[in-house]
Amino acid sequence: MNIYIQAAAQISAQEPLSHAWFQHPLPLSERYVRSVEPDYKEYINPMEARRMGKILKRALATSLNVVRKTGINQPDAIITGTGLGCIENTEKFLTAMVRDKEMYLQPTYFMQSTHNTISSQIALHLKCNKYNTTYAQRGISFESSLLDAYMQFELEKIRTALVAGHDEMTPDYFVLLDKINYWKKGEVNEAILRKSDSVGAISGEASACFMLENKKSNLSVCELKGIDILYNPNQKRIKDALEELLGKHNLCIENIDVVMTGINGDKDNDAVYNELERNLFPSIPLAWYKHLVGESFTASGLAMFISAMALQEQVLPASYLYNGSSAIQGLKNILIYNHFQNKEHSFILLSSC
Amino acid sequence: MMSERILVTGMGIISGLGYGKQATLDALCSKHSGIGKMKYLQTIHNYYPVSEVPMSDAEMMDSLGISSQTIITRTPLLGIMALKEAFIEAHLDKKRPRRIAFINGTTVGGMEKSEQYYPDFQNTEAYIAAHDCGTSCEAIAEYFDGFDMITTISTACSSAANAIILGANLLKTGRVDVAIVGGTECLSKFHLNGFSTLMILDKEACKPFDAKRVGLNLGEGAAYLVLEKEQHAKQRGVQPICMLSGYANTCDAYHQTASSPDGQGAYLAMHNALENAHLHPHDIDYINAHGTGTQNNDLSEGTAIMRVFNDNIPPVSSTKSFTGHTTSAAGSVESIISILALLHNFIPANLNFNNPMPELSFCPVKDTLTKKMQHVLTNSFGFGGNDSACIFSKID
Repeated sequence: MNIYIQAAAQISAQEPLSHAWFQHPLPLSERYVRSVEPDYKEYINPMEARRMGKILKRALATSLNVVRKTGINQPDAIITGTGLGCIENTEKFLTAMVRDKEMYLQPTYFMQSTHNTISSQIALHLKCNKYNTTYAQRGISFESSLLDAYMQFELEKIRTALVAGHDEMTPDYFVLLDKINYWKKGEVNEAILRKSDSVGAISGEASACFMLENKKSNLSVCELKGIDILYNPNQKRIKDALEELLGKHNLCIENIDVVMTGINGDKDNDAVYNELERNLFPSIPLAWYKHLVGESFTASGLAMFISAMALQEQVLPASYLYNGSSAIQGLKNILIYNHFQNKEHSFILLSSC
Repeated sequence: MMSERILVTGMGIISGLGYGKQATLDALCSKHSGIGKMKYLQTIHNYYPVSEVPMSDAEMMDSLGISSQTIITRTPLLGIMALKEAFIEAHLDKKRPRRIAFINGTTVGGMEKSEQYYPDFQNTEAYIAAHDCGTSCEAIAEYFDGFDMITTISTACSSAANAIILGANLLKTGRVDVAIVGGTECLSKFHLNGFSTLMILDKEACKPFDAKRVGLNLGEGAAYLVLEKEQHAKQRGVQPICMLSGYANTCDAYHQTASSPDGQGAYLAMHNALENAHLHPHDIDYINAHGTGTQNNDLSEGTAIMRVFNDNIPPVSSTKSFTGHTTSAAGSVESIISILALLHNFIPANLNFNNPMPELSFCPVKDTLTKKMQHVLTNSFGFGGNDSACIFSKID
């Protein structure tokens, strides 16, 4: 069984619905970075767009983008990962409910507050009656979606899948998470993040959407070789799981060209990667991306976007390298490794095709 | 090639009918509904009847040996209660298989605390991190410890059914040895007000499939099934309960909160689940309907049932007339009710039914029926048209 990424689209702090920025990403210098909004007119009727929250617009635009690129308008599965779902609508309903003491409420925001609004709105737009689901498990929401699709390819239940990760960060939720030290205090830049000597990361937003198919074509960006998620693993469990995943494809750790990590400048977060590097990847270059798009529950969707671009263009520019300074040319296998609060861990293995 | 059978080897449940399978079975057989006056939820809309779990958070924490200082919300507490029963039945409390997946369905997560402390969480900052769905899953996993993988499905009222489906796929691909699947959801002001603004709450006990139905009653609860392959269950020496013989997930793709008039999503879910189980419509002995009691759902689902089963419609009932609509937990709560019906050869009543719907060719089962059963089908539909169906069968 083979699975190929046939098209990818993203909306983030970098140029939206484009990969032109991949070679020269812009550095971030704020602790709270919202995504750059594209012109939605090409994808959503402006009347309709006005009634939609940010996350829905981003999800629809990225989905329709990959649908158009591939011509696959009836994917066998539509699967979304989202840590917080439609938090903007949830907050609007919650705020009104608390403020007006449960009186004078309107249903609109409630109707579009559930996490599955995203997958179901995509299905509504495509008039697609097939498999449709949503995962909301903090930092592995996107990976859970990918795993679901991967297994259904394996079981030959599907031939195509639209898989995405979407999260927005509203000003109110930013403030709440700031109270519990999710975000860096004060000044931020790449040098500060590299030090990993304080708590917090840059708060970002992530929308990354992929069309997967079991057949290779001239559209194929790269191959999705494997995916695994683990809960509370020790170092041995991580090593075993990684070797098992690589072994299925007759690969070993030395065959990995670069490890795309979730290093984000938070000292506790980064310590986990540093330990892994010592124990598992002492001779493999580490890359990072959260200094360019920020941290969010589904940031790893953007890691998959960037890694797919690197495999397609056969170069990982220096901006993404955590150790080492010159761009890596000629890439075969990229391992995306992410963890959330050292509880949920995930691997995604991509290969050039 | 027939793949190896997926068996149910443990079940745990808590709902308005009480704690445990025996309490649930007793209530179903004696037609004792859990729907009644609100006791724990604090809301100005306390005139709505609900089906509340008859335990406070403190009582649950006390019974579970969780310190009163622990930051935990009601959704995971209900989950731990239910999972504990399933754990013991499946002997997971003794020797643990190496790779256990825990798949939880929830939508409100920690909302019931967030709505109390919103917007500032003054002196309650610890509950900020407990808000999202995934935290509820972690809290349950932390209590039991030793799970190799966890994740949360959030497809509104079909979440737990979709957890069952993911668990089965994890087993079929050989990724895990045991999958614990289901969902948990507590009552919240958020849900109550949300459903109230949609004007789909009945101020009296709900009347699924009745021509004069007005709407649903909210419920709360949690339920989990332990799934594993036949060979694995045999090796562990655990007694199988029944098998998960088929399942399907489809999307109605009609409207964000309404179901299509022809019930296309529901039709496909039942149809595809039968196909997946290699069964014919006439093999099904009982349909545990989604049957919320809203005008829209019951007509759409009823139409879909007629389309799938034609002239051979098996007994149908909605046990939401007992448990209320337990939303994200409904899929597993009703799977366990269906399995109890299967094992004990009875059809639970569809309470409060009096007037047949003119649009439908069938009536739900009004009174408890005795019937020898082999296969039961249970429907779970959610907002956004997330429609799923599961089929459970006796092991021959």
